[in-house]
Amino acid sequence: MHSSELISEGINLMLFGMGFVFVFLTLLVFVTGLMSSTVNKLVKPAPEVTNKPAPVSASAAGNQDELIAVMTAAVHKYRSGR
Amino acid sequence: MEQLLSLWQGSGLYNMGLGQLTMIVICMLLLYLAIVKNFEPLLLVPIGFGGLLANIPEAGLALSAAEQAIHFAKPEVLAAIAQALDANTADPAVLKHLVHETGPSAYAAAQLAAQDAGYSNGMLYSFYSVAIGSGIAPLVIFMGVGAMTDFGPLLANPKTLFLGAAAQFGIFATVLGAVGLSAMGLMDFSVQQAAAIGIIGGADGPTSIYVASLLAPELLGAIAVASYSYMALVPLIQPPIMRALTTPEERKIEMVQLRTVSRAEKIIFPLALLVLVALLLPDAAPLLGMFCFGNLMKESGVVDRLSDTAQNALINITTIFLGLSVGSKLIADKFLAVETLGILALGIVAFGIGTGCGVLMAKLMNKLTKTPVNPLIGSAGVSAVPMAARVSNKLGLEYNPHNFLLMHAMGPNVAGVIGSAVAAGVMIKYLGG
Repeated sequence: MHSSELISEGINLMLFGMGFVFVFLTLLVFVTGLMSSTVNKLVKPAPEVTNKPAPVSASAAGNQDELIAVMTAAVHKYRSGR
Repeated sequence: MEQLLSLWQGSGLYNMGLGQLTMIVICMLLLYLAIVKNFEPLLLVPIGFGGLLANIPEAGLALSAAEQAIHFAKPEVLAAIAQALDANTADPAVLKHLVHETGPSAYAAAQLAAQDAGYSNGMLYSFYSVAIGSGIAPLVIFMGVGAMTDFGPLLANPKTLFLGAAAQFGIFATVLGAVGLSAMGLMDFSVQQAAAIGIIGGADGPTSIYVASLLAPELLGAIAVASYSYMALVPLIQPPIMRALTTPEERKIEMVQLRTVSRAEKIIFPLALLVLVALLLPDAAPLLGMFCFGNLMKESGVVDRLSDTAQNALINITTIFLGLSVGSKLIADKFLAVETLGILALGIVAFGIGTGCGVLMAKLMNKLTKTPVNPLIGSAGVSAVPMAARVSNKLGLEYNPHNFLLMHAMGPNVAGVIGSAVAAGVMIKYLGG
């Protein structure tokens, strides 16, 4: 193939490819956002249910200060472990 | 005495060529890097060993029946192959060249002629045609990667997809570089070969093997070796680029904690991605289809046995055969060429540009959006899951010990996998036959 032809083919591929990657992922950003907001509207009650047992068990544990200390330590360990 | 002589002439030592010896040394080096230096050992051990096997003189483990027949050059067999290939000469060198250039039907005829004469395909050749020639192994690996991927961080902050897109610039810039080298007459790459080399910049082993097997199978060995070696070198290649492009203040930026993502979102996401692929880019469907399938198996939670197999047993089995098959391409006359050096050099350039563009994009996002974005997570836009994200995290901790970027960097990291698969799809669409 002629060299200038080769270069122009390369430039074409770059513009077309990069453009397409951006278009695709931009669309995906919108689709994902849309999907997330719809899903969260539809299945709102679910997280509430999973959240409720936490305060109950917290009050059942009685000693709040100790619990908070333990939880802070656990969160810290979890974060630094990652 | 006669028998002793024939034993000597059939020995590996007698038949060892300089090229084969060099390749054996190179494969030993790969094994050394894998075993002692711990460079992607899961792949470099099978690749290095496959390369050793492929270069055993006279054994012809990586050769097809036709290639072996031509190598042993019995006149009547050569004549039969020449007839099958429609060539008017029975010169082994010419036939050897022709058998690679010819179309599938003539190739099949030459294979049959060689098999008639009692030659059979080498072991590694069979592995190659089953695992890579058919395209199966990279796709099965992609399914396993999908089953190991957590899209949570990406769903919590979908904007990080832009980082995954920006990092793909390395791929296309490298294509231009490879084409430029051929235009200047330094190397001789076709556009297809340039595209296959560029994909190294996606830092995604299975994707680069898949693209190379479709667009430039003759360069597959070098591309796979370059791709996996650079993935192992991520912690060395990326930090200097990341430091050069960011200020210390930017590196200290703390990001807002990610929201929790519901199970329903995680289940729907692979399906939504697949629909988008189906609508826009069917050529990326093999790669992203398997990826989404693997992810759906994991997130649905109802087929744990399948998901477990996909991310453990199956991916391990496939890796063994993929590695050996890649090793079969490390034959002296195909690997020892100036082009290989070009591929290694272009690959690292692709990687560097991808990293740089990701970081720059993250800086831009930090300027444009209200929520702070630490530019260090941009480098994770090249795939290399999860190594690139770990590098971002490590560098962030270096400048601010309370700054945990890992989860934030996982978003662009998996976005990079999607981005490079999309880029691969575009290449295949644009250049594939």
